[in-house]
Amino acid sequence: MIINNTVFKILFFILCIAFSRCDSNSRKRPLAKKVSLKPTMTLKNTNEKKKLSEYSFFKGKISDLVPNKNVFPYELNTPLFSNYAFKKRFIYLPDRTQIEYLKDEVFSFSNGSILIKNFFYPTDFRKEKGDKKIIETRLLIKENNNWKALNYIWDENQNDAHLNYIGTQTKVSWTDINGKNKSIIYNIPNNNQCKNCHLNGKMVTPIGITAFQLNKKYSSVAFKINQLKYFEEKNILVGLPDFDEIPKFPIWNQKNSASIEKRAKAYLDINCAHCHNPKGSAKNSGLDLSFNQRDLRKQGIFKPPVAAGKGSGNLKYSIVPGHPEESILIFRMKSQAPGVMMPEIGRSVVHKEGVSLISEYIENLKESSF
Amino acid sequence: MKKFLYFFLSVVIIVLISKVYQSSLPEYSPKRDYVDLENEILKAFILAEDNSTIELPEGHFLFSQSLSLDNKKRVIIKGKGMDKTVLSFKGQTQGAEGIKITNSQNIVLQDFSIEDAAGDNLKVSDTDTLTIKRIRTAWTGKVSTENGAYGIYPVLSSNILIEECEAIAASDAGIYVGQSKNVKIKNNKAYYNVAGIESENSTNVEIHNNEIFQNTSGLLIFDLPGLTVYGKNIKAFDNQIFDNNQINFGVPGSIVSSVPKGTGVIIMATKNVDFFNNNVSNHKTSNLAIVSYKVFAADKDLESGSQISKTASEGIRFIDSEFEKDKGYNPYPGRVYIHDNKFRNTYRFPTLSNDFGKLWYIKNNARIPDIVYDGILPEGIKLNSNEVRICVKNNDNDSFVYLDAENEFINFSNDLSLFNCELKL
Repeated sequence: MIINNTVFKILFFILCIAFSRCDSNSRKRPLAKKVSLKPTMTLKNTNEKKKLSEYSFFKGKISDLVPNKNVFPYELNTPLFSNYAFKKRFIYLPDRTQIEYLKDEVFSFSNGSILIKNFFYPTDFRKEKGDKKIIETRLLIKENNNWKALNYIWDENQNDAHLNYIGTQTKVSWTDINGKNKSIIYNIPNNNQCKNCHLNGKMVTPIGITAFQLNKKYSSVAFKINQLKYFEEKNILVGLPDFDEIPKFPIWNQKNSASIEKRAKAYLDINCAHCHNPKGSAKNSGLDLSFNQRDLRKQGIFKPPVAAGKGSGNLKYSIVPGHPEESILIFRMKSQAPGVMMPEIGRSVVHKEGVSLISEYIENLKESSF
Repeated sequence: MKKFLYFFLSVVIIVLISKVYQSSLPEYSPKRDYVDLENEILKAFILAEDNSTIELPEGHFLFSQSLSLDNKKRVIIKGKGMDKTVLSFKGQTQGAEGIKITNSQNIVLQDFSIEDAAGDNLKVSDTDTLTIKRIRTAWTGKVSTENGAYGIYPVLSSNILIEECEAIAASDAGIYVGQSKNVKIKNNKAYYNVAGIESENSTNVEIHNNEIFQNTSGLLIFDLPGLTVYGKNIKAFDNQIFDNNQINFGVPGSIVSSVPKGTGVIIMATKNVDFFNNNVSNHKTSNLAIVSYKVFAADKDLESGSQISKTASEGIRFIDSEFEKDKGYNPYPGRVYIHDNKFRNTYRFPTLSNDFGKLWYIKNNARIPDIVYDGILPEGIKLNSNEVRICVKNNDNDSFVYLDAENEFINFSNDLSLFNCELKL
């Protein structure tokens, strides 16, 4: 017996060596010496505001994010997943300007308008209003009829945020709703990554400012009123139609808000359709995850991959009805490997709740009906 | 207990054998001494202005994320030479590509190497007027399925020149032009890839004076269904295409993973293809194949471990069985002219690793053909009608196989006389 055990150990050892050899080709990051700027790489400064405080969006202590005049908070029905970060969103409108309501697309804004999105983590998710750490503030600024993306990174003592183009990584920790300690490496995007998601055709554009997303109770403000109605009353939104004509997204994690299919499609719309639409940067894939796409193949049902490479995970279709485990969509949502994971950027942990939602949706699709 | 021991021993032996077996895959392992200049180079890309040049210094630079250019006009990105300036994305933690260029005009990339991106080394989309010159893209180490998909990958772009580049060890195609227009691919080298050079759904493409060797398959001229753009008008000439017999290490499920190893050239479902003055030699399945989308994936390469999905008669695998719903798509090749080429083969026996190779043993006296045509036609269309015409003329050595794949090889034949014609392309 003892001899056998030893033999086993040796065999195990050989196996380990053999297998680790298989991995010798793995994409581990090698070491690199830090070097200083070479004279050939001359870099320019830009004319943008260097600090977030220069915009005067907030009054009092800046990290309390209390909006100033002309700055209005807003919320979405089903927001983008960003590594469990909380978000506080605001619209800045120049004096005497208004937002124009559009039915199926992003609302129209005057030049000078700014969309402000703050990403933060409460120290303890059970006390959302308690201590928090703000990581970054992303701005979309309308200038000369075009939108421009800028990003500001908050300093450690939360006194201000500083203009950043190249992004960075930062460690974030919190206590989750079950009292567990969590910690992740949070990627702050570089300027081109901002555009990557916000491109529609060749133009940078906002994503969430649509009737679908804004048609909800306005809980940022104490009174329970519809957000769009409130904007209209404040005279900052024009063209609002009758209420029953305003489309509305389900709330992805509220079961009573809509069917599983509708909630799943809303989730896919905000998390994927900014690239996976006929004008988006993933149009060459042929997959369109917009909420209103009717074509089953374009939605991914029995759709084979085009140029997914190892992103296909040895699976044949984006969605196999009834079989989430055979669906590329789920495989890529569950992955954390660059080149495989979806979305490609902006996520460094798996959104478990999102994966269960989409799995349940696929599970419920009946194979026979396609 | 003993049983377990035997089991373990056999596992160990299998693993060791497979190690030895894998060692037949080639390796590209240049010496690298990485330095970190990530922030500066990243900033140079992001803040690049129109009409500017990004000068990359000499050195082996390591990056944790993709470098990208978006919406720029007249920008040159220039290194000190493909051996001197190396941008490596080995172990990158963000983004799929090495370099990604989108929505731009008049972009030039020249004189550097791009290595080890998680996905594609260089992807360019929605860009007009693009020059890629003396760029080497590679995945280092032993060739592996883990390698990224495409080396040089312009897609949905136009007026493209890819010249004097090298593409090494892509797990899909080394140089891949997709859904693009007006493309010249010349004087490049592609080796150790699954597909050396691939033109997919592109129009007005010239592929010439390239050296394509030691891939699974050398040159692919493909048209695939379900996409926004379809291709035609391809000229391939003066290329050296040889020894493409590499084990298919493509990612199972990808289209190239079902390409049989040992095929020099595959022309699939594409119209107006002029293939002339090429030297094509030493392929274990066939030097050249002209096939419809229907038959293309008929095969299972045993060594690649890829799976058969849906099997129809004769083991024909339909990768996208619903392609017939795509009304804009025509799955048949047509107006393909193969002339004035030199075909050679030092291999005497076909490979046994795929169904084509096996078929040659049964049907073709165990000979490897130079040219194979599947003969699958649209319903009601005759072999000699203009739209599906295939002409093979004036080649030096062109042993031929007409498969008649649609009718279970009933009219299998080596007779070229039906295809002795000329096409004006």
